[in-house]
Amino acid sequence: MTVILPLLFLLAAGSGTAVVLIRDPARQIFAIAVNGLVLAILFDALQAPDVALSELAVGSAAVPLLFLVALMAVRNQPPEEKS
Amino acid sequence: MSPRLRVALLALSGLALLPGAAAVIAGLPPFGATIAQYGERINAIAPDARHVANMVSAINFDLRGLDTLGEEFMLLAAITGTVVLLRGHRGEGNSGRAMRRAGRALIPRSEAVVLACRIAGPLTAVFGLYVVVHATVTPGGGFQGGVILASATLLIYLGEGYAGWRDAVRSHWLDALEGGGALLFALCGLGPMLMGAAFMQNVLPLGTFRDLFSGGLMLIENLGVALAVTGGFTQLFLEFMEETRATDEPEEPGEESA
Repeated sequence: MTVILPLLFLLAAGSGTAVVLIRDPARQIFAIAVNGLVLAILFDALQAPDVALSELAVGSAAVPLLFLVALMAVRNQPPEEKS
Repeated sequence: MSPRLRVALLALSGLALLPGAAAVIAGLPPFGATIAQYGERINAIAPDARHVANMVSAINFDLRGLDTLGEEFMLLAAITGTVVLLRGHRGEGNSGRAMRRAGRALIPRSEAVVLACRIAGPLTAVFGLYVVVHATVTPGGGFQGGVILASATLLIYLGEGYAGWRDAVRSHWLDALEGGGALLFALCGLGPMLMGAAFMQNVLPLGTFRDLFSGGLMLIENLGVALAVTGGFTQLFLEFMEETRATDEPEEPGEESA
């Protein structure tokens, strides 16, 4: 337990920073999903399974999917025409 | 309002809130050390008073049920607002068939994806139902289970494509699910008043501890929340996709360069 918690904190900080630093929106969505997954594991490790379940369902499934759909709507041109 | 003024306002309100925030943060118990007094009290009371093993559900649906009712209607209002915003000029009418934006490539799905979704979709739905009905026994509840159920419908989209999804998921049913769930929750509050009890008082038989049928009224409230969340989230997905695909008319040339 003493190793798991700091490791999870580091992972959460790392994946959260990655969400900000990644510039490509499509990759950013997957970074958000990974961050949600790490947070869900962290909540579970801190003995909050209810919150972990919510975070897993909303943070790493529902929200990234909505973002993906929204991104599909914005991107009209086929990918190969982009610079 | 100029950006500079906005930043000044933000800094001012931040400064005004800082002492309060600092006082609260200083008063927090140390990390991971103790269970707070409120938690201890709940742990002592809830199994005897409500026959419920999951204390989070006991708080959410019984002891502080009124708060959850407020959240429920917050969700309803948020989703209604989003739907109104996204429908826009399309209005309430839905196209019977799925429409595809002109010029977008039709990407075929691999058979592996279709098979995986057909297997995982029903399993996910069953797991969502399990999480919903076991709210008073194991972690989870109406909200979590509802979101899992909604993502199970999304697996249909992933496997069968948009047209198949539109065939399976009807917008009016989702409206009924969402409104009906919220209504069920509200009736759970109002029903006990008809019997002379207080608002949302747990008048049903409490059942046996650690059994599926425990917690009395909580189970029904959970069901209401699950219906509302499933309907609401699926409606949200549907409206987002509808917005991406609904434009039948050719687009203005100005939008292409975006």
